[in-house]
Amino acid sequence: MTALRGFLIALGVGIAVWGVHVLLGLGRHNLIAALTWLVGGVVLHDGVLAPITIAVFFVISRVARRPLPVPVIVGGLVLSTVTLLASPTILRLGLIKDNDSLLDRNYTVGWLVFAGLTLLIVTAATLRGRRSTKEGHDGAHPGRR
Amino acid sequence: MGLTELRERTEALIATVPDEDDFTSRLRSPAVAARVGVWLGLCFGVCFITGLISHEAYVTHPFIAFPTRPVNLYRVTQGLHVISGTAAIPLLLVKLWAVFPKLLARPPKSVRHLLVEALERTSIAALVAASIFQLASGLFNAAQWYPWHFHFRATHYSVAWIAIGSLIVHIAVKLPLIRDVLGADIESGVHDRASMTGTPPISRRALVRGALTASSVAVLTQAGSTIPLLRKVSVFSPRSGNGPGHLPVNRTAHGAGCVAAALSTDYRLTLTYGTKQMVFTRAELEQLRQRTHDLPIACVEGWSKNATWTGVRLRDLLDQVGAPRGKDVKATSLQTRGAFGTTTLPSQFVDDPLTLLALGLNGETLPLDHGYPARLIAPDRPGVLQTKWITQLEVLA
Repeated sequence: MTALRGFLIALGVGIAVWGVHVLLGLGRHNLIAALTWLVGGVVLHDGVLAPITIAVFFVISRVARRPLPVPVIVGGLVLSTVTLLASPTILRLGLIKDNDSLLDRNYTVGWLVFAGLTLLIVTAATLRGRRSTKEGHDGAHPGRR
Repeated sequence: MGLTELRERTEALIATVPDEDDFTSRLRSPAVAARVGVWLGLCFGVCFITGLISHEAYVTHPFIAFPTRPVNLYRVTQGLHVISGTAAIPLLLVKLWAVFPKLLARPPKSVRHLLVEALERTSIAALVAASIFQLASGLFNAAQWYPWHFHFRATHYSVAWIAIGSLIVHIAVKLPLIRDVLGADIESGVHDRASMTGTPPISRRALVRGALTASSVAVLTQAGSTIPLLRKVSVFSPRSGNGPGHLPVNRTAHGAGCVAAALSTDYRLTLTYGTKQMVFTRAELEQLRQRTHDLPIACVEGWSKNATWTGVRLRDLLDQVGAPRGKDVKATSLQTRGAFGTTTLPSQFVDDPLTLLALGLNGETLPLDHGYPARLIAPDRPGVLQTKWITQLEVLA
């Protein structure tokens, strides 16, 4: 185990150092631009996105009187992450005026349909969950659906 | 302000920053991080290998000569590259969420432990920075948004090595912990911090499933430009698959600054081999034997689409100047703006019977934005190397 770990660490360091070597070979101007993005990404995540997530959870837990149903949390996770990663497309950040084949959908409508569908599934799953819990408590066979 | 006062104030300030133990949720546990990490590692592995294949396809003289068959190879590997990168984003966000308290852990007091911790934190900083960089730059590139000043392909390639190298180090460092938590039930408290006393609204299992669901939904909503079956449901796909000649375009003739030259009656194609030279008008090219092949356009952004191309077989054209087999060909475009105005087609593509100097697309005259008067189309080549608006072909020695 120790030998394997030692080998993997040496291999990993070797591979990463090769990457640094290739990056340095691309010139000083390229390095500064790349470093800005490398550091900027971490700062944006750790300094902005993570605290916002913590704050949102905090507010929700204070506002909601009881624990949120599982489908609501999973639905929120799906909606927030997918929206975040679709945002460059939804906001049409890469739009080129003379190219009709690029960003050629109505992404606002797409997002509304996606959000609506998520909401629908979350509502259905929550109601189903409540009913089965109720049956579980009232009926002779707890947990049976 | 005295030195003692400064120290006291600094310590008071540090005390206001939350500590690792201020996070009491049982969800932010190694059991969750390791399980999401396995899927994330799988995505990174696929991304890395398909990325290396893409790099091989781009360089003129790669480590291994890029094959011309199967014709859909690059289409599949690059589609997989973008899909696995997309799938990784929700997983990375959940993984970072699960380990976030670690960032705020107070450093150990002993010098020896401090040194080990500093080394581990350096490797994790490299891993996190490289991971965010790769996924963000890849995502923006797929959405055709380039808000940076670095050379995308070369930088994305070099940072991939840093990401994979630091990932291997991370796995090696955490191996005993990974083994312990994966061997135990997900809800068990193995390696949990003592401060994890809060009761979360969902189970750890539900959180991991939620992360995988988010990852799958992300792929479904994005991958339509790669997988034709998903075209209708991929509401966030940057391309619906339409365009001139029923095929999308990356760079238009206007964007390449060659509209006038491409439409000019003075257009000529010059074919050179050593001292031999032939010049063709478009009408003369149309008089040569025409062939029709179905070949895909597959771009680095992950989008691809099959099309029917008609034109002169490149090999037939080269035979006219007596060029032998096994020679690379330099193609020069009319474009005045943008990269890849000149490309080199390796000999295996030059000699392939499917490689065409295309004059027509899907039964119509080649549209201007697809490279009118003539463009290259070869099997299993990245789209940007399928040079458009060709004015010169030179057989290299």
